[in-house]
Amino acid sequence: MTDPIRIGILYSTTGPYGAFGRDCTDGAVLAAEALNEEALKGRGLPVELVLADPAGEAGRYVSLARALLREKGCRHIVGTALSAARKDVTPLVEKHDALLWYLCPYEGFEANENIIYTGACPNQHLLPLFEHLIPRHGGRVFLLGANYVWGWEMNRLARELLDAAGGEVAGERFLPIEETEIGRLIAEIRAARPSFILNNLIGPSSYAFLAAMRALGREEPAFRPEACPVVSCDLTECELPEIPDGAGVGQLAAACWFDSLDLPESRAFRAQAAARFGAGRRFSSFFSGAYAAVRLCAEAIRAASTDEPAAVRRAVCGPVHPTVQGPIRIDPRTNHAALPFHLGRINAEGGFDVIASRPPVAADPYLTGVRSGSRIAAPTHLRVVS
Amino acid sequence: MSGAGVTTPHFVGRRALILHRPDEAVARLERQLRVIGLEVEQRWAPLRPEERFDVVLVDADQGWNGLLPWPAEEARCPVVALLASEAPGRIAFAIAQGAGALIAKPVNAAAVYPALVLALYIFAERAAARAKIEALQERLRLRGAVLRAVDMIAARHCLDEEEAYRRLRRFAMDRRLTVEQAAASVLAGRSHLPEAG
Repeated sequence: MTDPIRIGILYSTTGPYGAFGRDCTDGAVLAAEALNEEALKGRGLPVELVLADPAGEAGRYVSLARALLREKGCRHIVGTALSAARKDVTPLVEKHDALLWYLCPYEGFEANENIIYTGACPNQHLLPLFEHLIPRHGGRVFLLGANYVWGWEMNRLARELLDAAGGEVAGERFLPIEETEIGRLIAEIRAARPSFILNNLIGPSSYAFLAAMRALGREEPAFRPEACPVVSCDLTECELPEIPDGAGVGQLAAACWFDSLDLPESRAFRAQAAARFGAGRRFSSFFSGAYAAVRLCAEAIRAASTDEPAAVRRAVCGPVHPTVQGPIRIDPRTNHAALPFHLGRINAEGGFDVIASRPPVAADPYLTGVRSGSRIAAPTHLRVVS
Repeated sequence: MSGAGVTTPHFVGRRALILHRPDEAVARLERQLRVIGLEVEQRWAPLRPEERFDVVLVDADQGWNGLLPWPAEEARCPVVALLASEAPGRIAFAIAQGAGALIAKPVNAAAVYPALVLALYIFAERAAARAKIEALQERLRLRGAVLRAVDMIAARHCLDEEEAYRRLRRFAMDRRLTVEQAAASVLAGRSHLPEAG
């Protein structure tokens, strides 16, 4: 193989959740530049990224993915941030026997052979998050969700985990991504007096909510972040500039990587990213995850001597790979990465202070361990409540 | 939106039997079942009547009558049909084995979990419906006894039919019996209604 490796990059860099896509795309571009520089020096193969940007329009993911696979000759796509988009393009990826590299945290209950999952699933984000927060704040949790599969499934899981742990759902609301009229929701939360709030909103509704929570906390100290935190599994550095007036400061988020983590593997990468995108920018787990995914993909193609997905999957699954997020092992059973858990608190400098960490755990996308283990174990047999 | 009422089922430690010749699709199916948490056995030989599995996935393209040890529509565990064919006879075979869900071949990994959930749900729903029908049939069978008991109470206590029935019902409720059971008991002379009430 002497031709450059072609990798499709499928993210919306504009639209309501454009911040995710901008960090993912920039991380991918930086990885490709680094790989191409190495290739010039005779190490590895050059990479050609084919950028495709649906601009936040749900219907365009499928047509752009089809173009990448059919017309642009890509057998690998690093892409989609929202689960709804991933689920939309999956049948195409299967049909063309391609491989989708998905690096965002998601709601689990998937283990597709044509997808490599390097983002966290619930046993790597939601479970440790609850295990950390419930003993400290209590188990009355208000559940907020974006009105699509991520919000629905995360809230559903949260409800079941709370039932099993003897906790309680203090309230539940779903909001469209672009909904910013949240006065009624704040009144509900005020009346419900939850121990903490699980925020599975994304985009403008999430930013408006965080701003409103700060206003509520100023009125009533019981709703300040230290007393009743708003916690999220997908809020990262890339969105903090979008939240008006730093209203998120003090709130919490779980992630497999934070810009402020001082990992030996991240230092050179961070310097390289700062040189390319400016020293003031904070890099998110989306950025470092996309960087890591493009490198993993290119290196697996090189190791397999082909871009044929089954061979690439065999090359990438099993061994431990050094990445800028730390060493990563992808389980050949599930195609999911083992990932650490970090809990960050938003600081006034536009980043996160890491307040708790756990070492990497294998992904358990169908939560088999929760049900068989003893921690939050409860028999959840299929039943119909009439 | 989120399918309220049906909790997320789990399959940890449950035993699945795949009745299918080994091939690539079956390997994919086995892998996915294990990821979901099941223990898996695969073979191409009949399920014996004394064997117990929590779910059976059966090749409906090649399957023959007798592969599963139960008569049509009396499946003893949830059944998933594995089917590539559109032939009506093969679909009829799947139905006759008691299939509650099907997975189209070649097996798509994402189809496995939904099919298991559906097959379990259908199985539980059918069992509940069967139990309910049996209970209703029993009550229907005893309707005559209720009529005779009401007549007997009315005659013995000089009551009209409505009042006699009310007494019988109260008697049944006090003893946590169905009206039919109470009637049978009265007719058999095992019970006497209280005079007043």
